[in-house]
Amino acid sequence: MSKQATGTAFMALLRRDFLLAYRRRAELLQPLVFLLVVVTLFPLGVGPSPTLLANIAPGVIWIAALLATVLSLDSLFRSDFEDGTLEQMVLSGQSLALIALARTVAHWLVAGLPIVLLSPLLAMWMNLPDEGLLILIESLAIGTPVLSLIGAIGGALTVSLKRGGQLLSLLVFPLYVPLLILATSAVSSAVVDLPYTGQLGLMVAGLIASLTLAPFATAAALKLSLS
Amino acid sequence: MNPIFLFFHKTGSPPWFYKYSGKLIPWLWAVFLALTVYGLYLGLVVAPADYQQGESVRIMYLHVPSAWMSMMIYGLMAIMGFIALVWRIRIMEVLVISSAPVGAAFTIIALITGSLWGRPTWGTYWVWDARLTSELVLLFLYFGVIALYNAFDEPRKAARAASLMSIVGAINLPIIYFSVEWWNTLHQGSSMGSDGPGIHPSMLLPLLLMATATKFFYGANLLSRARLTLLKQDHRKRWVQDLLSKESH
Amino acid sequence: MSHTPFIVGAYLISAVVLFWAAIAPVVNKRSLLRQLKNRQTRMDKLQ
Repeated sequence: MSKQATGTAFMALLRRDFLLAYRRRAELLQPLVFLLVVVTLFPLGVGPSPTLLANIAPGVIWIAALLATVLSLDSLFRSDFEDGTLEQMVLSGQSLALIALARTVAHWLVAGLPIVLLSPLLAMWMNLPDEGLLILIESLAIGTPVLSLIGAIGGALTVSLKRGGQLLSLLVFPLYVPLLILATSAVSSAVVDLPYTGQLGLMVAGLIASLTLAPFATAAALKLSLS
Repeated sequence: MNPIFLFFHKTGSPPWFYKYSGKLIPWLWAVFLALTVYGLYLGLVVAPADYQQGESVRIMYLHVPSAWMSMMIYGLMAIMGFIALVWRIRIMEVLVISSAPVGAAFTIIALITGSLWGRPTWGTYWVWDARLTSELVLLFLYFGVIALYNAFDEPRKAARAASLMSIVGAINLPIIYFSVEWWNTLHQGSSMGSDGPGIHPSMLLPLLLMATATKFFYGANLLSRARLTLLKQDHRKRWVQDLLSKESH
Repeated sequence: MSHTPFIVGAYLISAVVLFWAAIAPVVNKRSLLRQLKNRQTRMDKLQ
């Protein structure tokens, strides 16, 4: 396949995914509202003490982000699987990893990026001190693409299953643990003026690794689900 | 025939509703604009700044009417929803679902203006007190109703589901409010916008004017949205076809 | 701290939200009528 064809194929896939996403935009807003609701539940559950909320803020926001992402992952490949488009994509001869990457990029743009953009609101609700806000946004900006990349593997593995959604959460949450630990540690450290660049650096390394490896795993998973 | 009965019977007919609401809407907008201009003039220019809060009290003329509307609209949705479910009146279903976005808009305005009022006055953008928290929960209830409606393929079924959800939400709302208030006293949370001494009359009039103005906004917007929904649902029916051919002249 | 940016911000956001709420059905109605008319002319052409 010529380089030009691959590039155009990628853009064509992205454009299609955006069009489809736009048509289902009400559906895509739900995980984001879920994000807001979950964060709201925490003060109601643990009390509105500002210091308590500030302490648990990084963890709460990140956990809510994980939950919201998992919600949006279930439908990642499902409709294409159900109407046969996925099969056609596999047969098309285009690199399946590229197709997986395009879908993942689209997913991040419509599901992950909004989380990053909403994080200042969440930080305000959870009383996160101002020192932590920038690092929170950075951690989410680096971390949510990883959530999409790894989540796509899970989505591809479970797409052919009837109750795939529940299993998907079970599969990806353990995989998300290192990310959660690094991100919340970075934000908490930033708040008390401790170094946080180490954690962010490891997260970037994780992002690069998943960017290069995850699409292939997703492609293999898609082939498996279709077989 | 009894004229009142006849009126209600006629409003149930979509083309009749479409035609006459269309005539009413400009008047509603006119009254809204008049009240708003006068109310804001009184509130921003004539009324004094607050002794304790300073100029930021002027946000009250937006915040309080919006909060009142957010609750009133949800209550109306529940009542109309009840009528729609019990008597299966289609126009009621349409009005319920057309009210939801307007109510959500007022709730968002109430939350944002409240937050902006809180920062200069009490030092913080957000605090988990009874009123703000209940208002936020109300916003989620609105989102839920809207999302539920959009999830169905069949419009009448969707509207009935939304009506049921509104009723359930409305019944729950006082319970939610009181539980949040109790939770608040338990944790001794601070309250934003305490009910201080009675409001000065020079501030009361603009407040009431804005409160009335928002009702006219709701009326105009509601009818506008209801007409659109009727067109969408009935686009195959004769009255819409006739309307289309008339419009192209 | 000056209260003015907060007051201006509050009024601005309220205006934007209310404006959007008022305009949305009008815009949608126009595009709906346009769509229906196009469909009608297409149907007429077929006959």
